[in-house]
Amino acid sequence: MPQVTIDGTTHEFEPGAKLLQLCLDAGTEIPHFCYHPAMSVPANCRQCLVKAGTPIFDRETKEPVLDENGEQKINFGPKLQPSCSLDVTDGMVVHTQLSSQEVAAAQADNLELLLINHPLDCPICDQAGQCPLQIQAYKYGPEGSRFEFAKVHKPKRVQLGPNVVMDAERCINCTRCTRFTAEITETHQLTIINRGDKNHPMTAPGEVFDDAYSMCTTDICPVGALTEDYFRFQARVWEMAKTPTISDFGSAGINVDVWTKNNEVLRITPRQNLDANEYWMPDAARLIYETYNEGRASGPTLNGTPTTWEAAAREAGRMVQEAGSDVLFLGSAYATVEDNYLLMRLAEAVGAPAPQFVDRRGSQADDGFLVSDDPAPNTEGCLRLGMKPVDPALLPSAAASARLVYILQDDPVQAEVLRVEDLEGTPVVLHGTHVTHRTPATVSLPLAMSVETLGTYVNRDGRAQLLRPAKMVKAMNRSLLMAVGTGQSRNDRVGTPFDRWHDEANQVDCLPGWATIPQVAAALGVDLTFKSPAKIMAEVSAQPAFAGATHGAMDLLGVPLETEDADVPQITA
Amino acid sequence: MMTPDTPGPSVSPQPQYVPGQAPPRVIPDAELVWTDEEAAQIETFRAQYPTPDGAVMKTLWLAQRKWGWLPPETMHLVADTLGVPYAKVYGVATFYTQYFKEEKGTFVFDVCTCFSCQVCGGYDMLHYLEDKLGVVKGGTSEDGLFTVQEAECLGACGSAPMLQVTNGPYVHNLTEAKIDQLVDALRQGAELPFESVTLPQDGDEMGGNRRTDAQAVETYQTPPVSDTIH
Amino acid sequence: MADADTLLTGQSKAGDWRSFERVILPPVRDLHKIDVYEAEADGYKALKDVVRDGKFDPKGLTDEVKASGLRGRGGAGFSTGLKWSFMPPVDPDKPRYLCCNGDESEPGTFKDRQIFEYNPHLMIEGIMLAGYAMTIKTCYLYIRGEYDDYIQHVQRAVNEAYDRGYIGKNILGTDFSMDLVVHAGAGAYICGEETSLMNSLEGRRAYPRIKPPFPAQVGVFGMPTTINNVETLADVPLVVNRGADWFAGIGPEKHPGPVLYGISGHVNRPGVYEYPTGMLISDLLEVAGGARGGKRIKAVVPGGSSTPPLTWAMAEPTTMDAETLREAGSSMGTGGLCFLDEDTDMVSFTRRIAHFYHHESCGQCTPCREGTGWLEKCLARIDEGNGHTRDLDLLLEVCDQMEGRTVCALADAAAWPVRWGIKRFRDEFEAKCRPTAFASGALGGDGATEQTGELTPTGVPTT
Ligand SMILES: Cc1cc2nc3c(=O)[nH]c(=O)nc-3n(C[C@H](O)[C@H](O)[C@H](O)COP(=O)(O)O)c2cc1C
Ligand code: SF4
Ligand code: SF4
Ligand code: SF4
Ligand code: FES
Ligand code: FES
Repeated sequence: MPQVTIDGTTHEFEPGAKLLQLCLDAGTEIPHFCYHPAMSVPANCRQCLVKAGTPIFDRETKEPVLDENGEQKINFGPKLQPSCSLDVTDGMVVHTQLSSQEVAAAQADNLELLLINHPLDCPICDQAGQCPLQIQAYKYGPEGSRFEFAKVHKPKRVQLGPNVVMDAERCINCTRCTRFTAEITETHQLTIINRGDKNHPMTAPGEVFDDAYSMCTTDICPVGALTEDYFRFQARVWEMAKTPTISDFGSAGINVDVWTKNNEVLRITPRQNLDANEYWMPDAARLIYETYNEGRASGPTLNGTPTTWEAAAREAGRMVQEAGSDVLFLGSAYATVEDNYLLMRLAEAVGAPAPQFVDRRGSQADDGFLVSDDPAPNTEGCLRLGMKPVDPALLPSAAASARLVYILQDDPVQAEVLRVEDLEGTPVVLHGTHVTHRTPATVSLPLAMSVETLGTYVNRDGRAQLLRPAKMVKAMNRSLLMAVGTGQSRNDRVGTPFDRWHDEANQVDCLPGWATIPQVAAALGVDLTFKSPAKIMAEVSAQPAFAGATHGAMDLLGVPLETEDADVPQITA
Repeated sequence: MMTPDTPGPSVSPQPQYVPGQAPPRVIPDAELVWTDEEAAQIETFRAQYPTPDGAVMKTLWLAQRKWGWLPPETMHLVADTLGVPYAKVYGVATFYTQYFKEEKGTFVFDVCTCFSCQVCGGYDMLHYLEDKLGVVKGGTSEDGLFTVQEAECLGACGSAPMLQVTNGPYVHNLTEAKIDQLVDALRQGAELPFESVTLPQDGDEMGGNRRTDAQAVETYQTPPVSDTIH
Repeated sequence: MADADTLLTGQSKAGDWRSFERVILPPVRDLHKIDVYEAEADGYKALKDVVRDGKFDPKGLTDEVKASGLRGRGGAGFSTGLKWSFMPPVDPDKPRYLCCNGDESEPGTFKDRQIFEYNPHLMIEGIMLAGYAMTIKTCYLYIRGEYDDYIQHVQRAVNEAYDRGYIGKNILGTDFSMDLVVHAGAGAYICGEETSLMNSLEGRRAYPRIKPPFPAQVGVFGMPTTINNVETLADVPLVVNRGADWFAGIGPEKHPGPVLYGISGHVNRPGVYEYPTGMLISDLLEVAGGARGGKRIKAVVPGGSSTPPLTWAMAEPTTMDAETLREAGSSMGTGGLCFLDEDTDMVSFTRRIAHFYHHESCGQCTPCREGTGWLEKCLARIDEGNGHTRDLDLLLEVCDQMEGRTVCALADAAAWPVRWGIKRFRDEFEAKCRPTAFASGALGGDGATEQTGELTPTGVPTT
């Protein structure tokens, strides 16, 4: 394989590689702004300059020319080159800022230039703390500025669209945002307008930036020029904790970071996973952040009256036992594989028919990208467990004839597969998440949501991905504490690792299914206790449909599961 | 020698058009259409380039000639006609100085003050015009007839100082008297003739201008203006 | 360098220029009319000879142009034949394009306009020949939008040539077909940069593109493209008609040919002059009628605003060809000379140039977008008497920060006049500055604080 020497270390590379990406992959940071791996390379910020040279060969003999020390002579051109657009060639020798004073000085010069017209209002800028300009200016920039003139002024606080606000003075004209609308979503809603140092992004006159993915521009904007409207001035990034997890928005299995403060989800941003959502997520998947904070079912109830977890579990167990095999179990495409699995085990233990689930596929329009026709995150997981979708035609009579309906998470009334009348006279055990749940419950055992539990979702492509708890629930249990790694090193990149786990505020009194279903089972004398959800998944992954999907293997990026569907052509090597 | 204004402090401006607020309509719907002839012309433009985008600049010129400047609805029409994103057309229109993004006077004087024109008295001419018309550069006279602008080199440095009238005819070898004449002629609705600049070597070898179909200006008869420059 | 090695001999390299007969703009009345061009200037003879009568095949024509030593007249001075030979082999599925660069926006440059007006058919013929040499089917002739009158004038000439079968399908009855599209700019200097011009043609914001890929590989509309200046292409029929040797024999060996000098500024007879390359700058001053009002010339900008200004002492022995001008510390650029007399304020002059580049920067890349504004603001402060001598060093450092680090050469073009203006006319700049005492340390000044007492411009007290 061809080789390149970067700061004295030799690396192999695939032909066609660009130098900046190669360096980043190899762990050598080169400051940069405009380069984004998913989009075209304009090389306009000029921050990623390096010194690159190629070996000199004798024209006739084609032999490398050696210097007096017997080392191969390298031809470094007269200019520094932007690494983002530079094709790596065999034998190339590269000096980054780490090994060349000239490069380091050029990068500092560029940062000085980037900052001369920059407002430098970090203290009131939402980007501060996660701002590539701020960070790189500290790391690679000059000590101060020699610019003593009036700065260029441009429009500020421009509501570009429902979700994005622009401060053009902070813009460094990297064109990432306009390239995003031109190349990724192809809505072409943004353009740079004007010329020279009056340049800034804008919509066409009077038009609204309402791209369904508009907030992705705030993620990729390397400064605070584009910010999410819902998150402006809500919190400083260093006051929040960021947890890598999976969104429960739809079946695309969007990898996200959930940002919390005081046990409230304040912000959701996409997390890179090239096998799932790449770098992106739709606006709609961010704006659900409030559903984790508001209207939450908190504390178990018996006929609407608050009670203790023990009493509620005992009563639910008693009701299941009484109904025997006449229990209608409903699993959920919103619940994790682990919770659904335990529910199946419970049904099996009492001899009831296997749980079914409400299949929501086809209930909304597919945008061909990250919004699928399925609003639920784990339909594929339910199917792989062997659960069948409910037949809406048969469900009302099944509910009416059952002696007990046992519901995990889903809301069949809201889903319009059941009416409240159908349940008249039939008691209901419910593990629900919100007070707005429309299916009435006799016993309510509030359920932790995706941001509070540990478990597995399988996305539409059969990729098993791991949820991690981002905020604490009141009835914290040991598995959750272990999962959030209290007392262990955590890979929080931003924020303090300890704040939320000791914050009593805003804790919802709910429990994950894998904590409460075993409690209910115990009341029946059935032992479904697992030491942790990881152990449940270890057992589930023994099934061929889940082969390999252990928590350890899924880690941050998930694992693709085997597809047994014979109709799907398998690619053979 | 006179120079451009000092770039000074200012406040953050509002964008010309605010997203979500419909821009004021200038051209009524009934007039916002291409004539058959124009539509045919646009088709010709289109055929000249492998992509419809190639025809954007020419179609914008057509729109500006038709409506005098480019209110948003005209840029929108250009975009729709060619099937090119509206924002893209707007980005292009704002890049070039000759596309007028706001309404101007009937006549726009682009007075070159750049380089050769600067050293030959371009600023004197600019200020003379400003004083004469009672405007500050960038502004339009009260009667709405004249807009005065400072221009970059217009490629007529040999006949400096000079100006261009509304993206059209050049007026060479400006003097105060020539400006007076120009303004009077325009007020009276005169068509400006095309001025052909005589090559000095033609002067020697052909006794003046070589063209029999254009009015000549003789470059080298300009009085030296450097006397006034300090 | 030994005296013998210097190109700055003070001798003209233009040969017997006083008896030079003009060929690009020959003295023929109404030459812009196709009948006159055909009858009195061998019009379209070269095209007929080559395309119809097979005087050269495409490769032969390219070699002939190479042999003539013709170098681009658009600013960079690259060998035209060599540039043509960079085009990849013809791929029938891939259109390829020629762009003729008539953007002509470099301050001090006004020569292409004279070709448009007085001899458009020579350019058209050259375009067709270049198209033949590179097997091209479409040429875009990009003319700056301000040249509205000339655009219409050229369009009329193009229409005439179409009517006579010199452009279009099956030219002169052969199977060579080519179209010529005139494209009007709309007021942006940067469109003269070759890749920016391509983006402009494609209906985009005219941002220059990064190179590689070079236009010969990926040019306009993503296809192989060659771009040449108007005057460069107008030279091609002359090379064909009179031979490469004739062309190569005019002016200095390395940079030969007739050339249009655009002379402006403080001279009595400004305008476009046609002479061989290698003219002494002092001879050009003489033909242009000398300095106005009997003044002394103090400085010369030899090739458009981006070329470094020369003091008269430097300019006097210098001839107008790339090599000699490089040795003299400037460059040939577009051949647009601006003469400045002794009363010119070099600070204001430099400031106005900086204003131009600040206004024209496309704003794509950081050093140019930010640096051009910084240069202008700093020069404005000095010009207005509020600058300090340390600002001059700052300006030089900002130039360092801009040069060679941008997508296109506009940043260099902006930095050079400032850098060399300060270096060559430093006393004038310092005279406008308030003194800075920080360098000596003895006075303890920081440059930002007003110093009391009489100081010389360099900060050394007079007493
Ligand atoms: C900022 C900039 C502006 C330029 N402007 C022009 C121009 O107005 N006309 C021109 O012919 N070349 C211009 N050039 C040079 C072109 O990029 C290109 O080199 C030239 O058109 C090639 O033609 P030639 O080889 O015939 O000279 C410019 C270059 C730069 C960097
Ligand atoms: S964009 Fe970054 S550098 Fe600029 S004000 Fe905001 S945090 Fe500071
Ligand atoms: S708004 Fe942000 S993403 Fe867009 S060009 Fe400016 S800095 Fe880049
Ligand atoms: S150097 Fe200037 S003009 Fe050229 S691409 Fe960069 S910003 Fe644009
Ligand atoms: S990242 Fe390379 S130039 Fe911007
Ligand atoms: S400087 Fe005024 S036209 Fe060139």
